[in-house]
Amino acid sequence: MPEPIISVKNLKKTYPGGTEAVRGVSFEVAPGEFFGFLGPNGAGKTTTINMLVNLVKRTSGEIIIDGLTLEKNAREIYQRVGFAMQEVGLDETATAREMLQLHGRLYHLPPERIEQQVAKLLKLVELEKVADRYTHTYSGGMRRRFDLALSLIHEPKILFLDEPTQGLDPHARQLIWNHLRQLNAAGMTIFLTTHFMEEAEALCQRVAIMDKGLIVAEGTVEELVTQHQAKNLEDVFLKTTGSTLGEEDVIANAVDPYARSRM
Amino acid sequence: MTTFFSDWYYLSIRSIKQIWRPLLALIPSLFIPIFFFLVNSASLSSFARVPGFPANVSYRDFIAPIALFSAVFFSSGNAGIELVQDISNGYFKKLIIMPIHRLTIILGKLTEVAVHAVFQGMIVLVLLMAVGVRIHSGFFGLLAIFALLILFSMGWSCVSMIFALRTQNARLVQSMFVIVFPFLYLTTSQAPKNLLPGTFAAIATYNPVTYVIEGVRALVLTDFSNPSVYKGFLIAGAMFFVMISITLASFQKAVK
Repeated sequence: MPEPIISVKNLKKTYPGGTEAVRGVSFEVAPGEFFGFLGPNGAGKTTTINMLVNLVKRTSGEIIIDGLTLEKNAREIYQRVGFAMQEVGLDETATAREMLQLHGRLYHLPPERIEQQVAKLLKLVELEKVADRYTHTYSGGMRRRFDLALSLIHEPKILFLDEPTQGLDPHARQLIWNHLRQLNAAGMTIFLTTHFMEEAEALCQRVAIMDKGLIVAEGTVEELVTQHQAKNLEDVFLKTTGSTLGEEDVIANAVDPYARSRM
Repeated sequence: MTTFFSDWYYLSIRSIKQIWRPLLALIPSLFIPIFFFLVNSASLSSFARVPGFPANVSYRDFIAPIALFSAVFFSSGNAGIELVQDISNGYFKKLIIMPIHRLTIILGKLTEVAVHAVFQGMIVLVLLMAVGVRIHSGFFGLLAIFALLILFSMGWSCVSMIFALRTQNARLVQSMFVIVFPFLYLTTSQAPKNLLPGTFAAIATYNPVTYVIEGVRALVLTDFSNPSVYKGFLIAGAMFFVMISITLASFQKAVK
């Protein structure tokens, strides 16, 4: 494996009150890799990804991103990573174009580069025609796509995605998958958390399955299927995390037409 | 350092745009002070003839500074509301993982408050001058009035930002609006202290807003020789210093 672009060693997070969300997680991600971080709701995926971008302070452990540590080089790391969070936080009083321009400026891009990026990203996420509308008028799918565009404004080396297709219809999901494949093919490292097995199988070169704050399986989909004598990744998931889904997953799958079609 | 100022500038522009988005949101904070000024100056004009009221001052001129003051008072809570909206919808998280100087998030909000204060103050001032109110301290007095209004509004806006950062609850921050009323009316806003009942006068003495109002009033009705001007600046400055310190501490805690 080449020098990892993300290196995590014995990462732990205990919240005030004693809840151990992450209980000693270690993994590495190679440059240009599409890495999936799977697990049922409450497994610790979002806490882990939030620690990687410094939104949650870790209790202990080591995180190295592109050779840099958050303690000493947080701003340099922010310049190199993009993050599309589970909650699509947009400025409701701004238009999509204004938000992209503002983010370009806050990432300190030269003005001509900002305009190029704005045009390119609006085209990429197919929002050119509504770029001058306030973001509060966007549908859920448009908001997700726009959020992805926002996270790409500074052409990050690493893209963190936390459940980027949750709540999307199959068409919007396919659209986002295609964008992600293109970005990865262009050399971007992508770290994706999801609890949709199809998503991981379709996109990721390597996955780690997390449960109850620990990584319980890691490897390529083929390796894991062989190793666990399973039919597919979903089978591996069920074997490694227990055979019952959490209550929240049952609800999510029940309302998600894509998920329902495979149940 | 260069990026510090550019971050501050761009975040200020973003916040300033929020002032008029939507445009209708500007109306309440302008309507309330203008409405009370017009109603009170007409209905209570005879109050100026009560013994103990300042000589040669009409009631309209006496309460004119309150219209100016309350225009910025009512709008300065918006910074906290906008901040809590950013926090609750997740946009705040996006800002804090950008390669910016985090302090500029708060400075951008304070700049918006200052611009809003000038904007609202100018509209109310034009109206006051249209009905015959004069600024006795002249052009420099006018500048001093706006400086005092900006200083106070930035300090007061910190109250809502502190609530936003500490509670992260939009409803609670919005309900903070009501505390403007005791702070505004338990002062000498409607009558000079010597005409206020004892308890009321005592509360007004300990209410810092009284001194800022008196400072604005002194600049409208008299000139720079009036000590109330300096007391107003001193209290507004102290309020700003204390409140900004608590805001920054709350901000540091929120982004930890």
